[in-house]
Amino acid sequence: MMRYIRLHKIFIKQDLKKLMEYKVDFLLGAVGFLLEQAAQILCLGIIFAGIPALCYTVDGVVVDSWGFNEVLFIYGFSLIPKGIDHLFFDNLWGLGYWIVDKGDFDKYLTRPINSWFYVLCEKFCVDALGEIIIGIVLIIYSTLSMPAQVADAINWWRVLPVLAVMPFAILIFTSIKTATAAISFWTKRSGHITHMCYMTNEFAKYPTKIYNTFIKTAITFVLPFALTAYYPAIYILRGESVWSLPVTVLVSLALFGISQLIWYRGISSYESAGS
Amino acid sequence: MKRLIRIYKPFTRAGLLEMVTYRVNFLFFLLGEIMRCFVMFFVWKAVFDSSDSSTLYGFTYDNMVVYLFITFLCGYITYSDGSYAVGKEILDGSIAMRMIKPVDFDMCFLFQELGGKILQLLIVFAPITIGVETYRWIANGAFMMNVPMFFLFILSLLLAYGINFFFNVIYGFLAFYLKNLWGTGIIKNVIMDFLSGATVPLAFMGSFGKALGYLPFASLSYTPVMIYMGMYSPLEIIFYMSLQLVWLVVFIVSSKLVLSSAMKRLVVHGG
Repeated sequence: MMRYIRLHKIFIKQDLKKLMEYKVDFLLGAVGFLLEQAAQILCLGIIFAGIPALCYTVDGVVVDSWGFNEVLFIYGFSLIPKGIDHLFFDNLWGLGYWIVDKGDFDKYLTRPINSWFYVLCEKFCVDALGEIIIGIVLIIYSTLSMPAQVADAINWWRVLPVLAVMPFAILIFTSIKTATAAISFWTKRSGHITHMCYMTNEFAKYPTKIYNTFIKTAITFVLPFALTAYYPAIYILRGESVWSLPVTVLVSLALFGISQLIWYRGISSYESAGS
Repeated sequence: MKRLIRIYKPFTRAGLLEMVTYRVNFLFFLLGEIMRCFVMFFVWKAVFDSSDSSTLYGFTYDNMVVYLFITFLCGYITYSDGSYAVGKEILDGSIAMRMIKPVDFDMCFLFQELGGKILQLLIVFAPITIGVETYRWIANGAFMMNVPMFFLFILSLLLAYGINFFFNVIYGFLAFYLKNLWGTGIIKNVIMDFLSGATVPLAFMGSFGKALGYLPFASLSYTPVMIYMGMYSPLEIIFYMSLQLVWLVVFIVSSKLVLSSAMKRLVVHGG
């Protein structure tokens, strides 16, 4: 274990050196990501300008509603586990898009360390810092500008259990990427499948209650992105859905197990694309 | 004309074959992208439920659903990879091979891309329009599609594709100067998505949105979508479609200018 931590540090150092070499590329990429988020938030602002709060209604009766600040808080929170996974484990995207396809995967099998770990830590994606920073800024901004009765409902002690569950939320992202990237061991390319699964994450950025039962179940248990965003965020805000915290641990561990199974099955049937 | 078709037919064929090879990838990509539409489908539903009136800025919920999916369709049909293809060839030097052949540089890309579009049209166009019309039919209890408008929509879509293609060719040539296509590409796409009304209808932005309507970005998707939805009066249709035509000409001319100035700067090492 210690050896792996030490190796990871070396890999990160290498990537930082690479980064210093291509400063402009990094800067433009970071500005791009920033603008992308800014545009989405601006859109939220425009949408909310016309309504007092986002309501969930059943037969015309308002069951639940979220103010603009609460939606911003949820949105900001959703960026953090995603950003941390992006920061450390971005290389799985490459695996599905080109590493296996070009025959470059052989390299990982010839080194005396765990192949999955090697793929994971080879790239340190600093661009993701933009995502994390925006997430934090949104959370701070939205709590500062909240109306008093919303702000009073927040109990900051609830942040502690959420932080404790955070590694498992990150594990959900990593496991889904691992499982879908591993499909490329059979098909040579699977980046588009990863992309498809990843897009369901968009659903998690908004209050889960507004969706129909099918989508709600899918994003809570199958591709459980809601567990990384809406549920923990609303738990901090209002103390609702405490059940989601232990469920996050269980579901993420199950997903991790499945992803590892697919990974090792995939490696044993892997044939190099070779050239 | 006949000569033109004879020369560029192989490029179209190549584009089509390439698309056929990667059809599964394309399908998964499409499924992922359309997810965003469904997210907004539910978000808008909640927004309209929260509002006291049944219309927001002249849009009903059904309008909004049509807007979402037809905008997505427009984005897909008018999408152009030209900038990336041109830029990549400039950066790795393979552009030299194209320059020594007796074909027009941008025409090669255009026809190659059109080849790929044939398959995309079959996969994307029919299902989405049929889906949207079925939705409108169920929601309103009547068949809403206006056939002459539909043809105008297709015409407007073609103009939009032309504008986007030449805009992207210009951007691709900027690779000579920028030496970076990935980061600037993200920036370009974000700005275009926002200014073209792809994320939120321009009508929601008040007078600022009205001003945006005159920019080339609105010609990319807002104009065809509005025509499809029948939200423009005949006079407005004439005005906005002529505007599209003007922008198309502007971009074709400036892409030729950028091409000739960039060629003077081109240095290819080896190859």
